[in-house]
Amino acid sequence: MEHNAATLLVVDDNVDNADLLRDFLTSRGYHVVVAHGGDEALAQFEETRPALVLLDVMMPGRSGWDVCRLMKQHPEHGKSVRVIMVTALKEWNDKQSALQQGADDYLTKPIDFADLNARVERNLALLGAAR
Amino acid sequence: MTVSVLLTDSNDQAVRDAVTALHGWQLEYRSIDELVETLEMMSDVRALLLTTDDPSVLRAAVEKAHERRLAVIMACRDEVARRRAVDFRVEEWYRVPAAPEEIAARIHSALGRVAPTGAELAERAERVERTEMLYDALTGLPTLPVMIERMRGAIRKRGELVVMYLNFVRYSKIEEIYGWEKLDAVLETTAKAVHEFLGDSALRSSRMMVGFINDDDFIFFHVPAPGVPAASERMITELAGRLERHVAQRLEEVHGEEIAALFDIYVGCSHVYYNPKIRLERLIYRGIREAANAARSVEERERARKVADLKATLRARSVYIDYHPILTTDTGEIFGYEALARGVMRSLRSPEVMFEVAAEADLIWELSRLCRSRAVEGMQTWLTEQQLLFLNVDPHDFSDPTFESLEVADPERVVIEITERTAIKDYPKFRERLQAFRDRGFRFAVDDAGSGYAGLGSIANLEPDFIKLDISLINSIDTNFIKQNLVETMVRFAEEHDAKVIAEGVERAEELETVKQLGVPLVQGFFLHRPDLVPTFGLPAARAPR
Repeated sequence: MEHNAATLLVVDDNVDNADLLRDFLTSRGYHVVVAHGGDEALAQFEETRPALVLLDVMMPGRSGWDVCRLMKQHPEHGKSVRVIMVTALKEWNDKQSALQQGADDYLTKPIDFADLNARVERNLALLGAAR
Repeated sequence: MTVSVLLTDSNDQAVRDAVTALHGWQLEYRSIDELVETLEMMSDVRALLLTTDDPSVLRAAVEKAHERRLAVIMACRDEVARRRAVDFRVEEWYRVPAAPEEIAARIHSALGRVAPTGAELAERAERVERTEMLYDALTGLPTLPVMIERMRGAIRKRGELVVMYLNFVRYSKIEEIYGWEKLDAVLETTAKAVHEFLGDSALRSSRMMVGFINDDDFIFFHVPAPGVPAASERMITELAGRLERHVAQRLEEVHGEEIAALFDIYVGCSHVYYNPKIRLERLIYRGIREAANAARSVEERERARKVADLKATLRARSVYIDYHPILTTDTGEIFGYEALARGVMRSLRSPEVMFEVAAEADLIWELSRLCRSRAVEGMQTWLTEQQLLFLNVDPHDFSDPTFESLEVADPERVVIEITERTAIKDYPKFRERLQAFRDRGFRFAVDDAGSGYAGLGSIANLEPDFIKLDISLINSIDTNFIKQNLVETMVRFAEEHDAKVIAEGVERAEELETVKQLGVPLVQGFFLHRPDLVPTFGLPAARAPR
């Protein structure tokens, strides 16, 4: 599949939030795939092999933490994906648990689009450098 | 083979090209008036690509498609169409004109998004989990069920099987000290080294397989090739010895001496004979248990030997001190040294190992006393008057009556490091003891801060003069933005509490650059002991009196 723009996976159980992120990121030229739950996110992850995942922490069923860990441990794509947790993370301990699940960055809600853009760009840049 | 049909009202050549590029797909064009009707008649339609801008027709088509759980992709000419696409919750949309590659990607992604049933979702997630279960994510090695399945035929034919159990000890310690990323890297190196070794060994001619059982144990099945006798007990013992040296050497090359010194491997083996009356799985599980027990008894023998070594060490005071420089980040000047005690005997070279043995043999106070007095003795010889000595002290040492009377010429130059890892049970009493030392001029550092054992509150509680950041926070900090944020927070927190942050475990130039930018005033780490690697820094090297 010849496709220049990076594929991003947006995971949020709230459809409006997910659409908002997707619209913004699409307008920035990324190819965006959306999932509305943990299981769907894992399925999409295998199918579309995104370069970067924006992952909501609080979801019914499989939590964002769980999804993050499973993605990072994936035998084939786990090493080549960057995961940004989208969360209300403010506390020291929360950030530490994010680290323990293998997350690379975080984004606090409510989302500031300038911040979102900067974080997506710097994470993708690191991915490019690592290859 | 079944064909998937993309039904569309688009005349766009790019759409046609996109479908041609998709394997097993076929395009059906219908005018928008016939589209919904066709949809009901054709059974192989899997996706719908719509371009009409008549909202009512569009809505009808999307609803019908979703009823039948088909993916809908919208080709949007303008902003209005795009809004509508979002509004109707189609699976994918794109802007016209688009390249065939993009359209193909959208179709593909739309299929993944068709609201799948709960059962389908669970099944797919399960597949991800199952892959993870059958093959170890890190090492790529198969887990036991896969191994048994693959060896089944060979074992039946040959009638025997040798199981080797490789027990790598202290890997959990690596995780505790350096963080899980490091342990992952170490396991990867180990798996590779084991593979390399066994690939080259005399057993190569036989059918064999390495697997990953759990945590830090590997097993290895050896089914001799036809005509080749099974490896004898002696061969295996000899093989185990060479394997140990090989893995240790690779670990040292890749991860440095500190980590290699932590490493020990115990190998046990057992012989399994095929018996058609007993289930093969059971035979193999028994074989594994037997081999694991054998490995354990080797471990126990080793341990007894180490305790004897430690007793000899204590008698002869044969402990030496490595002085690890702590540098001022901006100038590269030596701010002080952390004293790290090492055993002179090779088996006790790693301080972690030495203290572990001491804890098991109930000799921890004796060892601590020896190390403390050695460190303080060396201070006069190795440190200038401006440099501080950082001394590791376990909270348990505070209950050692001889510790309170620690004799130091100028206590102002001594910083006592307390680790955050050992739980402090009686806080008020502990603080009282700290105060007594403080009154005499000693200063304090909290070690391993941010290793997840305690929050900022409990650090503040100890009123430290220095906060040493845990190695796991510094490892790869240049590529992890969460770590950067945590360190930034810690630097601010320290400033508010009149303390100085020390970044420990700086191993790469990028890490040094990052902590420098984050405003960490003091640094320490393997990278800084190698002046050849740090042109901007002076000549500090770890000093060890002979």
